[in-house]
Amino acid sequence: MNATKITIKSLAKSFVTFRGKVDVLKSIDLEIEPGEFFVLLGPSGCGKSTLLNLLAGLEKPSGGELYFDQELVADSVGKFSGPFERDISMVFQSYALYPHMTVEGNIAFPLTNLPQVPSPKVMQAKVKEAATLLQIDHLLDRKPAELSGGQRQRVAIGRAIVRNPKVCLMDEPLSNLDAKLRNEMRAHLKDLQKKLGVTTIYVTHDQLEAMTLGHRIAIMNNGVLQQVGTPVEIYRAPINQFVARFIGSPTMNMLTGDLNEENGSLYLQADTLKIKLPTETACKLKPKNLKKITLGVRPERLYVITEGEQNLALPVNVIENVGPEFLIYSFHKQGQIVVRTPDEPVGDSLCLALDAGHLHLFDDQGARINL
Amino acid sequence: MTREEIIRSCLIFATGLFLLAFTLGPFIWMIWISLADRADFLVTGQVEYSLSNYRQVLTAHSLHFLDYLSNSLWISTITAIIVTLFSSMAAYAVSRMRFPGRSVVPLLILAMSMFPQISIVGYLFEMFSKAGLINSHMALILPYIAWTIPIALWINMSYFTQIPLDLDKAALVDGASRMKVLYKIIFPLALPGIFSSALLVFIACFNEFLFAIMLTIDYTAQTLPVGIALFQGLHGEIPWGNLMAASAIASVPLVILTLIFQRYIVAGLMGGAVKG
Repeated sequence: MNATKITIKSLAKSFVTFRGKVDVLKSIDLEIEPGEFFVLLGPSGCGKSTLLNLLAGLEKPSGGELYFDQELVADSVGKFSGPFERDISMVFQSYALYPHMTVEGNIAFPLTNLPQVPSPKVMQAKVKEAATLLQIDHLLDRKPAELSGGQRQRVAIGRAIVRNPKVCLMDEPLSNLDAKLRNEMRAHLKDLQKKLGVTTIYVTHDQLEAMTLGHRIAIMNNGVLQQVGTPVEIYRAPINQFVARFIGSPTMNMLTGDLNEENGSLYLQADTLKIKLPTETACKLKPKNLKKITLGVRPERLYVITEGEQNLALPVNVIENVGPEFLIYSFHKQGQIVVRTPDEPVGDSLCLALDAGHLHLFDDQGARINL
Repeated sequence: MTREEIIRSCLIFATGLFLLAFTLGPFIWMIWISLADRADFLVTGQVEYSLSNYRQVLTAHSLHFLDYLSNSLWISTITAIIVTLFSSMAAYAVSRMRFPGRSVVPLLILAMSMFPQISIVGYLFEMFSKAGLINSHMALILPYIAWTIPIALWINMSYFTQIPLDLDKAALVDGASRMKVLYKIIFPLALPGIFSSALLVFIACFNEFLFAIMLTIDYTAQTLPVGIALFQGLHGEIPWGNLMAASAIASVPLVILTLIFQRYIVAGLMGGAVKG
């Protein structure tokens, strides 16, 4: 197995433009384990592609250091190895296939650049092996223009794996595919990475891809790492409001308001909405003496009840039937509140219960309050 | 067909016919006169057709037609090759690499080409006289390179910028050197642009008159446009037949080149590089 550990130390990148200096990455620290499927997730413009380009050796860092295993491959002082010396490969969102070469020519291209170019026979065998793995071995003499989107993407992946690189970088490789194909390719990619065991760094803005593919996810915003963790960790305990909103679909419901104590119970007054916090939460929250908080609840953690103690009541505005479940929308001054429930709701209002174990509380800076 | 469609087809046909006559008319007339034994046949009505004008142009040593032709071919070919080489590499740098002044350089080069030829030809003459280059091929090749490089650079730049940057990145990641990226990936894809700029440069040099007449003296360096303009009959009359025959032969290389390169100057080569 050919797996490499990547260590990123205080990595920074800024561009100088006429309008001044733009800091795209601000002091990133990360360790990516050998053979890991690591996902960089964030909205467009958050710096994830720049980080990938720095890892690839297509850009030079403005600060910090980058190690592949123990070897320093780039720093801001002058040490810089190009993409090939780092032995990485890359899959691009746009496929970036060479249109004038056949599929075979495309996949073989990295082999022709090796210091010792393999004999045509070896080369052919390697191309065939990669193509068979990706089920495109019947397309070897076609030109990219004659292929469908999914096939082109497979060729691009074939080109990336043909020379067994130390690290494979993927820049939103699935976002040009249609939804059905994307799901297929996603599963295929995961399987392929497992078989090859190569350290893979995958950039995406699609939280579903991140959740399903990654061993670990790093969420970025404005050039800063927000949280690094397994999909489950990030889903269950988002470190701040940004992460909480970014992960999960539909997004987490957020309500901001003042805390009031009435008759021994703690209430959150979010504009017109009055929410009674569960007793367990209230007990832990009281000693912290907070005035204003944001309460986050995932749509599936709002339970519709017909009897028992309710925590809040909501009017029903829109009901969407999405097949296995219903999404109920209630419009509120602070945005919409979504409830996910398996049963069709009755009536035009909902009684909801909260579960203390699945509440997310954030302070007025947006950081998570750990209870 | 509706009335509107009929009118439209008629207009398209008429305009097409007019344009065809406008462009091909002089050419046909040229061929016609070159085949006639006398140029005033429309007045006198007496005419015999033969290839004698062509035979004369090609065989009479005093006319130096073949010298002019070879000068023209040499000068135009060498200029086209050098200009294509430099302009395509410059276009790659300007369209691909980040360096200070990357947006200013092409504009400066374009600004250079805005000087009228006539405004610099006097200085050129003095400079080449001092350098002892007057009446040599070099006296034309050097100014032609400077004169045509801006247009070639801009044509190539427009083609290069259409090639997605991801292809360069992919090739670099795949281990190709910058030079290899250039000749294995970018050049083959920009071939239509490179060919059209080369062809344009060739034609411009082949047709150029002002520099050619000012910087050359005799048939050892004079090009076809100058040579043909200086054709003289035995008794000072204008030898229309010879002139037209020479012009007709002069257009042959251009027609052949255009026919050859036309195959390459086709769009659609880019299909499938990136998602369209």
